[in-house]
Amino acid sequence: MNTKHTVAVTVNGKKYTREVVGHRTLLRFLREDLGLTGTKEGCGAGECGACTVILNGKTVNSCLVLAPEADGATIETVEGEAKNGKLSNLQEAFHRNHGVQCGFCTPGMLMSVKALLKEHPKPTVDQIKEAIEGNFCRCTGYQQIIESVLDATGQLKPKTEEMRRV
Amino acid sequence: MLHEFSYLAPRERKDLLQLLKKHSGQARLLAGGTDLLCDIRLGTDKPAYLIDVKHIPEMQGITWSERDGLAIGATVTCIEIMRHPVIAKKFPLLAHAAGHIGSAQLRNRATIGGNLCTASPCADLGCSSLALGARVELASVRGTRVIPMKEFFTGVKATQLKDDEVVQRVLYPAEAAGAAWGMEKLKRIKGHDLAVVSVAIARTATWLRVGIGSCAPTPVVTADLPPQATAAAVVAAAFKVVNPIDDVRASRDFRLFMVEEFIRKLLPALA
Ligand SMILES: Cc1cc2nc3c(=O)[nH]c(=O)nc-3n(C[C@H](O)[C@H](O)[C@H](O)COP(=O)(O)OP(=O)(O)OC[C@H]3O[C@@H](n4cnc5c(N)ncnc54)[C@H](O)[C@@H]3O)c2cc1C
Ligand code: FES
Ligand code: FES
Repeated sequence: MNTKHTVAVTVNGKKYTREVVGHRTLLRFLREDLGLTGTKEGCGAGECGACTVILNGKTVNSCLVLAPEADGATIETVEGEAKNGKLSNLQEAFHRNHGVQCGFCTPGMLMSVKALLKEHPKPTVDQIKEAIEGNFCRCTGYQQIIESVLDATGQLKPKTEEMRRV
Repeated sequence: MLHEFSYLAPRERKDLLQLLKKHSGQARLLAGGTDLLCDIRLGTDKPAYLIDVKHIPEMQGITWSERDGLAIGATVTCIEIMRHPVIAKKFPLLAHAAGHIGSAQLRNRATIGGNLCTASPCADLGCSSLALGARVELASVRGTRVIPMKEFFTGVKATQLKDDEVVQRVLYPAEAAGAAWGMEKLKRIKGHDLAVVSVAIARTATWLRVGIGSCAPTPVVTADLPPQATAAAVVAAAFKVVNPIDDVRASRDFRLFMVEEFIRKLLPALA
């Protein structure tokens, strides 16, 4: 048993092909077979969202997807954010607003927000909350993350902005 | 880490059904994987084969006709249910139930077939579909059969599915289209939690039904009640079909209390 599967994917615009066993998760495939360790494993069971990536345009918990299921897919991960050493607009906003503390939740958080912004370029606070419902953050208390998203989309009120931009 | 298993991804229904028969007992069907891969990771399930059902055309898509009603392919995901225009218009209860399962990441993967086949007492598409009078279409190499969803669930995480059978589609009668509805789900946190108690009500000109989750070994539904039934009568009918347990999430008494609260809150406000 356990024949190998050829998995060909496009991750952040770059094509990769690897041979994997059937029980390889997409998360491990990204981290260990492709060396893209930005995506994190928290619970490994669909609860925490640390492993969130965008698979064919939709966010998924990569710990609950098998690598062979992703054959032919287009995948976006946190590694696709910064370009030539320059943080993306969203990353800059997280940085400015203390949306990052330990940073463990950030790669997944950024992917959930990225998917949200594709559908709602100017999301409301409720839409932001709903989009990150499946992303646990044990540090920030979420407020700074919400403000980061508001800031990234030009919706942070000047007064709060001053408070946060220390 | 997941234990070693073989991943199979048939493209045609006949291949799926044959593989399932061949590996009977040793294989599990893989849909969204949001229940199955968790069980495998925990080691509570150790199948030798995972057979992916997502490529089978007969198990995909959503169709509607005045004559045959609504049919949802077993591999249709929560997000597809939430965003389908016919469901939003004619079966809003279903769109609501699908929209309140887990998180966005889960809803993008979790399927209706997986939700029903896990047969958890709290399955959100279980109690809501029961209220709408759904039936389940099962297929195997022996043929196809359709059974009322009420009979599909047989116990905690147990269904009528035979080892060689798959859920192909879930069917909703046309007469339930446009039913007035209401649903409440008690959770410990907003978002991302299984129901401690859930109550889904549907009402047409001829009947009223209440589907209830997490209050019996399976999702349950009341008998058909007259649409103008009083709150007291509806609560009494609900108490006939529930039998909650005490567990870490809530006591039996609290669950019963919440069933009544939800019915009294929802009934006057059915939309
Ligand atoms: C963090 C978290 C939160 C959750 N929150 C909720 C919630 O709020 N409400 C809720 O109801 N559920 C919830 N769930 C449970 C789960 O996401 C749902 O039950 C989901 O719908 C399962 O679908 P799936 O496609 O992922 O199933 P899978 O995991 O692929 O399959 C589940 C089971 O069904 C079998 N199966 C799948 N498809 C078929 C088929 N067509 N025919 C026969 N057997 C089949 C599989 O073999 C397996 O035994 C949650 C899960 C997690 C991890
Ligand atoms: S690691 Fe995947 S959801 Fe926690
Ligand atoms: S920044 Fe530490 S978990 Fe979110």
